[in-house]
Amino acid sequence: MRQLRTYLVEDSAVIREGLIATLEELGPIHVVGSAEDEVTAVCWLSQPANQAELVIVDIFLRTGSGLGVLRTVATQAPMRRLVVLSNYTSPEMRRRCLELGAAQVFDKSNDIEALLTYCAAMAAALGDGEAPPGPGPQSP
Amino acid sequence: MDPALIGRRSHLAFALAGIAAALMVFISEGAHWQSVRTLDRLDEMAAVPADLQVLQWGLVDALAARQPKANGAVAPEAGRDAQSRITEAFAALDTYYLDRPEARPSLTALHSLVTDRLATPHTGADRPGQAESADAAMIDLRRASADLLQRETASVAQARVDLTRTLTLGRVGVASLSLLCLIALGLYLRQSLALKRQQQTVQSLLRVERDLEVEVAQRTAQLTDLAQHLQTAREDERSRLARDLHDELGALLTSAKLDAARIKSRLDGNAPEALERLAHLVTMLNSGIALKRRIIEDLRPSALEALGLVATLEILGREFAQSSGITVQCDLAPVALARSGDLVVYRLVQEAITNISKYAQASHTWVTMAERESRVEVSVRDDGVGFDTMATAHSAYGLMGMRFRVQAELGTLSVVSAPGRGTLISMSLPATAAVPG
Repeated sequence: MRQLRTYLVEDSAVIREGLIATLEELGPIHVVGSAEDEVTAVCWLSQPANQAELVIVDIFLRTGSGLGVLRTVATQAPMRRLVVLSNYTSPEMRRRCLELGAAQVFDKSNDIEALLTYCAAMAAALGDGEAPPGPGPQSP
Repeated sequence: MDPALIGRRSHLAFALAGIAAALMVFISEGAHWQSVRTLDRLDEMAAVPADLQVLQWGLVDALAARQPKANGAVAPEAGRDAQSRITEAFAALDTYYLDRPEARPSLTALHSLVTDRLATPHTGADRPGQAESADAAMIDLRRASADLLQRETASVAQARVDLTRTLTLGRVGVASLSLLCLIALGLYLRQSLALKRQQQTVQSLLRVERDLEVEVAQRTAQLTDLAQHLQTAREDERSRLARDLHDELGALLTSAKLDAARIKSRLDGNAPEALERLAHLVTMLNSGIALKRRIIEDLRPSALEALGLVATLEILGREFAQSSGITVQCDLAPVALARSGDLVVYRLVQEAITNISKYAQASHTWVTMAERESRVEVSVRDDGVGFDTMATAHSAYGLMGMRFRVQAELGTLSVVSAPGRGTLISMSLPATAAVPG
């Protein structure tokens, strides 16, 4: 199974480390970079040289917001998949994230396994040369 | 003292003073005229002895004129003269005694005596007899006059007594008037002193009142400041606590869950007992995460920062409608407020909604927010039971706290309600420069 080139936007160092270790160990994921605020994330993602197939975005950041990241970069690369992984996933927030171009919203505390499943499906689709999968498994 | 009472009293005092003055003038004038009359009477009385004297001499002269002289000649002129003097004296006496009937008999006796004497024919024989006759006439006349003179002496004495009494009356009157004046002056001085003291008391009371008002204003301002400070401190504290819970505890719990996921993957069905324990651990972690979220949401509306005020209020309204069954209609326009202003608006709407769900028994609620002329106007209205805004409401402290918070943001808060008429809570805050995009 091919590895997904993944960029992580997460402000907590503890979670970032845990997340990178977990994703790389349990999923077909290779984390190519990370940012802890909106500006850094937007800068990295806007560089054409930086290729990422999956971007995992937290909403609350050190400065700025994951929503800002979505708003700016969602339309830049159609092949790039944006997913939100946050502790704040009220129906309203979920709706807004999807409006801004997120493919899926995962709850940081409860949907880790759903995220891994989603990544596996996406890697499988890309590996087979097919089109990227749809919205993926519905989160609870 | 009551000014009306003072006025009535001074009217009474003036009336009494007028009556006293009139009385004194009356007494004084009466005494004066009484004295004048008595003195006139005394003058008249003094004329009586003179008239009697004239009468005596007139009679002597008349009798003497009838006596032929040594040369045998008579003096008819002297006799006529004496006769006319007698007539004059009698005229004066008659006039004087006209209104004194008690003395009339004596006067009549005098008349008849003189008439008898003058009527006695002249013998002309023996001269010594003639002389005796004149002397006897004089003695008779004096005896007759004596009664009148005695009467007059008594009258004079009586007049003196009258005069003395009148003068005494006048004296007593003047003395009483002086005494009254002194008493009145004393009363006046006492009254004005009392009035002055009273004015001083009133002045000092007013001063104390002013001081108290200043003191109360200062204390109120201090309390307002303190309340604002406490509100701000409380909000800061909640915010810090929420951040710590989210950042630190949240990260730890999430990290623990990630570890649990990795452990589960490693076990991979080889140790069912350990997997069972791990599932329990994950459940506990989930409970911890849910608890943490609930606490954070209570402490700080995280949606406010992430979604902005309008969306947060919409969420608040929707959640309230779902939980209470009350229809909530939101008419919200984006406004330019600082973060603290956003929070105040959010807390106001939250407080209002809490009150509606607790007390209003409403079926509809309207929430509006708009910016007009650099002011952000927010209102929450319901069609519930309302309350008497003058009476102490259940939520008095909540609303009072809101008022302080709104004032701290230089805004105003008004509550309009009446029993059965619903409640309208509206707030106005100064907007910041521009509406955010």
